[in-house]
Amino acid sequence: MTAVITATNLSKWYGNVLGLNDVSLEIERGITGLLGPNGAGKSTFMKLITGQLKSNIGTVAIRGRKVWNNPALFAGIGFCPEHDVFYEDVTGFEFITGLLRFYGYSASDIKERAARALDIVELTKDKDRLIRGYSRGMRQRVKFAQAIAHDPEIVILDEPLSGLDPLGKRKLIKLIKDFKSEGRTVLVSSHVLPEIEALTSRIVLLHQGKILAQGDIPYIRELIEAHPHMISVRSSDPRALAARFVGDPAIQKMTFGADGRTLVVETHSRDAFFGRLIGAVLEGGVEVEEISSPDDNLQAVFEYLVGK
Amino acid sequence: MNARKSIGEIFGFFFFLGRRTGKIRVFALLGLVPVALAVVVRVVLHGRSGDIAAVFTEILMVFFLQFYIVILSLFYGTSVVAEEVEGRTLSYLITRPLPKPAIVLGKYAAYALLMFLMVAVSLTPSYFIMNAARLAEPSLYLTFLGYLGVLGLGILAYTAFFTFLGAVLKRGILVGLVFGFGWENVIQYFPGSTQKFSIVHYLKSLLPYRPARGGGGRLALLLFKLEPTSPAVAVLMLAVVAGVLLALACWFFRTKEYLYEE
Amino acid sequence: MATIREKGYSHWDGKLGERRFPWWPITRTGIQLAFRKKRFKFVFAGSFVPAVVFLVGLYISERLEDFKSFLQGSDRLLNINPNYFKTYFTNDSLLFLIVLVLGFAAAGLIADDLKHNSLQLYFSRPLRKKDYLLGKMSVIFFFVLILTAVPGLLLLLFKLIFAGSFKFFLDYPWLPLSILCYSALLTVFFAFYVLFLSSLSKNTRYVTILVFMIYIFSDILFGILEGIFHKPGVALFSIKANLQQAGAFIFGQKLPFAVPAVWSFLILAGICVLSAAVLNRKIRSVEVIK
Repeated sequence: MTAVITATNLSKWYGNVLGLNDVSLEIERGITGLLGPNGAGKSTFMKLITGQLKSNIGTVAIRGRKVWNNPALFAGIGFCPEHDVFYEDVTGFEFITGLLRFYGYSASDIKERAARALDIVELTKDKDRLIRGYSRGMRQRVKFAQAIAHDPEIVILDEPLSGLDPLGKRKLIKLIKDFKSEGRTVLVSSHVLPEIEALTSRIVLLHQGKILAQGDIPYIRELIEAHPHMISVRSSDPRALAARFVGDPAIQKMTFGADGRTLVVETHSRDAFFGRLIGAVLEGGVEVEEISSPDDNLQAVFEYLVGK
Repeated sequence: MNARKSIGEIFGFFFFLGRRTGKIRVFALLGLVPVALAVVVRVVLHGRSGDIAAVFTEILMVFFLQFYIVILSLFYGTSVVAEEVEGRTLSYLITRPLPKPAIVLGKYAAYALLMFLMVAVSLTPSYFIMNAARLAEPSLYLTFLGYLGVLGLGILAYTAFFTFLGAVLKRGILVGLVFGFGWENVIQYFPGSTQKFSIVHYLKSLLPYRPARGGGGRLALLLFKLEPTSPAVAVLMLAVVAGVLLALACWFFRTKEYLYEE
Repeated sequence: MATIREKGYSHWDGKLGERRFPWWPITRTGIQLAFRKKRFKFVFAGSFVPAVVFLVGLYISERLEDFKSFLQGSDRLLNINPNYFKTYFTNDSLLFLIVLVLGFAAAGLIADDLKHNSLQLYFSRPLRKKDYLLGKMSVIFFFVLILTAVPGLLLLLFKLIFAGSFKFFLDYPWLPLSILCYSALLTVFFAFYVLFLSSLSKNTRYVTILVFMIYIFSDILFGILEGIFHKPGVALFSIKANLQQAGAFIFGQKLPFAVPAVWSFLILAGICVLSAAVLNRKIRSVEVIK
């Protein structure tokens, strides 16, 4: 498949701070998830490919055409910014129609497209209310509507799910997936792995301005699985508990917490360990007070991958 | 879209937006002050039409020329770029198929027209109330058009200057205030041709009525030590100032990256 | 079997350890933020130009013999007395510079909080409304006092040093009190004036314009009305004229406008009361209800 968006050795500095570091990436049709913690460079990358920033080194092109100061290109691109910002003194309908004017459509076409976009995001009923009176979810949806109203071939969504309630998230995820099924290119960023997982299996992991990993979710999972999981068990007698696991091949390493009540276990097989832990508790003699996984989050995944 | 149509669409959008904001009400309210004052002048100087003409130039024009159009242009001029960056709405504009200079020119035109309408709405009643006794004289209307033209040119030149500041500097308003209320006022005290390094000098040179020296009391400052430039040169200079500064603003806006404050 | 513990919210029953100056972090942050603006540092440094000019005047007044050839009859301007100090405090440029400094250092004090919806964050901490306002006002106190009381007292000190005697102080023992009183008046007035305007909008640039616009407009209105009526009473329309009138009164000098000074004090106090009422309403409207 040919790449729609091509970034070659892309680097971007903000003064002394490196925002993006030698990123080369090809994005194809379908949904691509850009995953990374805050400050990883996701927004910088998105701003570079939407011509809002100019790279210090490297190039970015959409279908082989440079992006910076190439307005004609934007007829086919829809961008949904991360920040919750609007022209607040207009209604949702006026906001969408106002922005649609910049594509050269006729007045009737503008109205029709705006109505359709607002219908897609289920805002038809509230289209004549001022945006400043919209709820967070409505604002997020109208922001999405302005990105798709002109029927773009490429949609770039910067943290579109942030601040939405679970129901709102589910609806927006469905909308994005529908968009993909029409053969378009969608690039979505998030710092929440399950959100991206719900949208696509193709992800790019960014960390500290660099691409950490790239591929489909099973591949990333494999990378993660290659590193041991850390599980912390607080117990009345952690040493007695540790004695039960010494001969267990699933356990890589065991250490004791400074409080004298915690056993920290590193294992490749989390399920096997939990099975044995339940067995140990049922056998009696050890009282477990708390089980937690200090690395069960995206940051920990990144820390594994960068080898911390 | 071609550049002209882009400018037109941006103009339409921001002319509409500009009318919607609450700030326009505050500025328009300020424009009612000369109307109220005109009524007062009319009552106080009843029957002294010669004095009224002097009062208009020496007193009310101070409000329009050295305060109202400067404050309006400062706010709306710096808004052309700065409000998009401060409000982070710039992303909505520069990810559209619009040439970047069209954004600057379209917003500039929209805001300049808004300001001109505010000024016209304020100037028209205040002028004709003050000159109600001379409504039959054709010269009255020519003089009025002269005042309106001077203020219109002032809006174009000042707004271009402040648009340029807003495009180049992060907090252009600081420099704008020092320029608008410092430099433009202080420069008339400077000797020789120094006063020609201000916008207000050319505007004053175009005023249709020039009172005798020493008139106007505290506000005779308006024409203090004015060594007028010929009208043609004054208009040309204002057009050049507006044109060059707008071109520079467009160039900066096209080449500069605008980063949002975190 | 391990006990399963409830992990829900629990109410804290302890006693809040109150800080002595809960407003101080707000003040410190406000001052620090002002100095982070690159151009502000230049403006702030430039605001001391009047103080330097008056200091040079003081020096020359003590060395009149050395500067005789330069002065040529203008030495009466350098007659150092309370009027000299009044002139420093009420001159147009110092008042303009105070407005300029506050337009940049203080316009966003409340406007930025409104923009970022951070009032709730303030009031979710052990902070009362008066602490919040005091914290914000103290930022203005800092900037105004540093441009008024500090140079004023330093000028007095230098006068004594240059003269090499306490005679000037003994002649006018109340002068330090006048300096402090007038500085306090300017500080309190500008604190209310700027915070009031800052609470009216979320847009700092617009507030900056308002701070200037109202100050300058009031003076222009005074000029226009004076041009029409030729009556000194119209000076009361001008913020600047009222401040100058109050200054002349506090320094025991001839009033610049033939209007009783009490009117100026009343007008300035009225603006403060109106500002306080608006601030009370604006800040309360988003306060978290306990």
